Amino acid sequence: MTRRILVIEDDPETRGFIAKGLKEEGYAVETAEDGRNGLYLATEGGHDAIVLDRMLPGLDGVSLVKSLRAAGIQSPVLILTAISAVDERVRGLRSGADDYLVKPFSFQELLARIEALMRRPQEQKEPVSLTCGDLEMDLLKRTVHRGGAEIALTQMEFQILEYFLRRKDRVVTRTMLLEGIWGYHFDPQTNVVDVHVSKLRKRIDDDTRSPMIRTVRGHGYMLSDDT
Amino acid sequence: MFRSARLRLIVISAGLGSLAVAVVLALVFWTVNRIIETETRSVVNAELTGLAESYGDLGILGLSRTIDRRVRSGSDPDAVYLLTDGFGQAVAGNLGAWPPTVEAGGGWVELELIRTDNEKVVPISAASVQLRGGERLLVGRDASARQRFDAILIQSLILGLSAAVVVSLVIGWLLSRLVFSRLSEVADTAGEIISGEMARRIPLRGTGDEFDRLAVTLNEMLDRIEDLIANLRMTTDSFAHDLRSPLTRLRVHIETLANDRLDGDAKAHALDRSVSEIDHLLRIFSDLTEIARADALLGQSEFETVDLTALIREVADFAEPLAAETSIRIETNGTAPPIVGHRALLLRAFVNLVENALRYAPPGSQVSIGLSTSGGIACISVSDAGDGVPDSALDTIFRPFVTLDESRTGGASGLGLALVAAIARLHHGSATAANLNPGFRISLQIPLGSGA
Repeated sequence: MTRRILVIEDDPETRGFIAKGLKEEGYAVETAEDGRNGLYLATEGGHDAIVLDRMLPGLDGVSLVKSLRAAGIQSPVLILTAISAVDERVRGLRSGADDYLVKPFSFQELLARIEALMRRPQEQKEPVSLTCGDLEMDLLKRTVHRGGAEIALTQMEFQILEYFLRRKDRVVTRTMLLEGIWGYHFDPQTNVVDVHVSKLRKRIDDDTRSPMIRTVRGHGYMLSDDT
Repeated sequence: MFRSARLRLIVISAGLGSLAVAVVLALVFWTVNRIIETETRSVVNAELTGLAESYGDLGILGLSRTIDRRVRSGSDPDAVYLLTDGFGQAVAGNLGAWPPTVEAGGGWVELELIRTDNEKVVPISAASVQLRGGERLLVGRDASARQRFDAILIQSLILGLSAAVVVSLVIGWLLSRLVFSRLSEVADTAGEIISGEMARRIPLRGTGDEFDRLAVTLNEMLDRIEDLIANLRMTTDSFAHDLRSPLTRLRVHIETLANDRLDGDAKAHALDRSVSEIDHLLRIFSDLTEIARADALLGQSEFETVDLTALIREVADFAEPLAAETSIRIETNGTAPPIVGHRALLLRAFVNLVENALRYAPPGSQVSIGLSTSGGIACISVSDAGDGVPDSALDTIFRPFVTLDESRTGGASGLGLALVAAIARLHHGSATAANLNPGFRISLQIPLGSGA
């Protein structure tokens, strides 16, 4: 069944660009140009995700999320904000939104985050192990095997790999890693995230096998089994 | 009319001054009257008792003779007497007849009666007694002299009060002149500053009084504002300058893309470069926003207890793989008690400092993050073995967009250290740099419980 996404954004160009991109990805998209219409459409329910701007005419984004939650609408919400300050990011999440994205953003980043949000409700039962091809992660024993051989990982490498495995075959961006692994709501000035990922990659991939963690140029990484 | 603060001040001062004087004068009037009253009553009572005793000794004839003698002698012209028989017929004294409203022995009375010695109706305060044989005796004082005295007293008091009103009006006026002449100096100076003379300051009188102290404080505030404006202007200038380079490069890349003869690889390269130039510009914007917010103390509502020891451990773990690429070791040492602060911004500051140190540390060397406390101030320092900066630049590297050769100021946007300093200021602390010869160190001093 086609997934439905509601986009609430007052800037027509941004709204059009998000809607067009999501339609190309196969989603059914509804749009609203202000807070009131957005709230009206959202309360009809049944959206798999809601993307909304932090500053909207009529009703601002944070109040809108609060109204939605008060009305019992549990659709995951991603807030778009023009303010990059650390405080603003945290405040957006505290209002009841599930994720935020700072403008300007790349469409790939938005898509990666929407897909990550929509996957959540399906994972109702916490798995005890995660797999990708011949890579196996035991979440209880906290061990990792590839092709039967155990791979020793540091705690941080384990966390990063777990993050990737939970988002198998989907793009994981650098900022998603920063927020998800370290809880940092800012971008470092160095390529330190890439270094962490390449360190992990060296542990689980070697020359004899095709690499599992691929770099998606300009966007981030993807863990998948190509064999 | 009461919109004029000066008039209001004069009226209030005069009103309060006059009220105070009026209260004092009323008190004087009341006290004087009470003293005279008490005195009169004690004299009359003594006389009444004395005469009643002589009635006991000498009988009605003796008493009437004594009274007549006293009236005739005129030694006390204000004294009045009346002795009547049991039917109220006058026997002796200088009053006409027993007043029907007065009951003998009924206590102190005030009334008006005709004096038989000078045939005048006079006000009288008197006491009376019923004698054993049914005769009645009344002794009193003619109060007309006292009423004249009261009138004179009231007159002088009113005169005094009028003088007091005039004096307090003058005092109010002088007071308001004193206050408002100083105020108008402040207003004049402010007016001149508004009209563009930013360097103008409020003149001091050198008295060291409250007005001088106010002027000093205001002048210091003006200095601070002027500093901030100068800084802002410098930042804006540098900002404009620093935007030019990435924008120019961006333009070149886009022009390259417009070239049809370009092959796919070159186009992809130009696109990549364009995106990274835009990211660079966004980074400048976002860092500037964060600095401005920290300087406006916006983050203080998010303050919480922060364990610095755990925080630097976390930052060291985060940066460790990056350091390992050039065989640099990151070492943490020391501890500090928890502080009240903005966890996310402190993290950001420490990550900035460590990344900065890693950029300048020679391969194979060591970067250390140290924690210590002294005098209620936590000190977080990050040192590396790289080259320092010229001593003259130790302060200026914390300013936005300061460009040095081999700039250590920071990071992709040139704002890294400025942000670190702003985050320190948000915590009522400061950032300092030191050349270790060899090596370089940046320290943050943050008061414990700075958010309290």
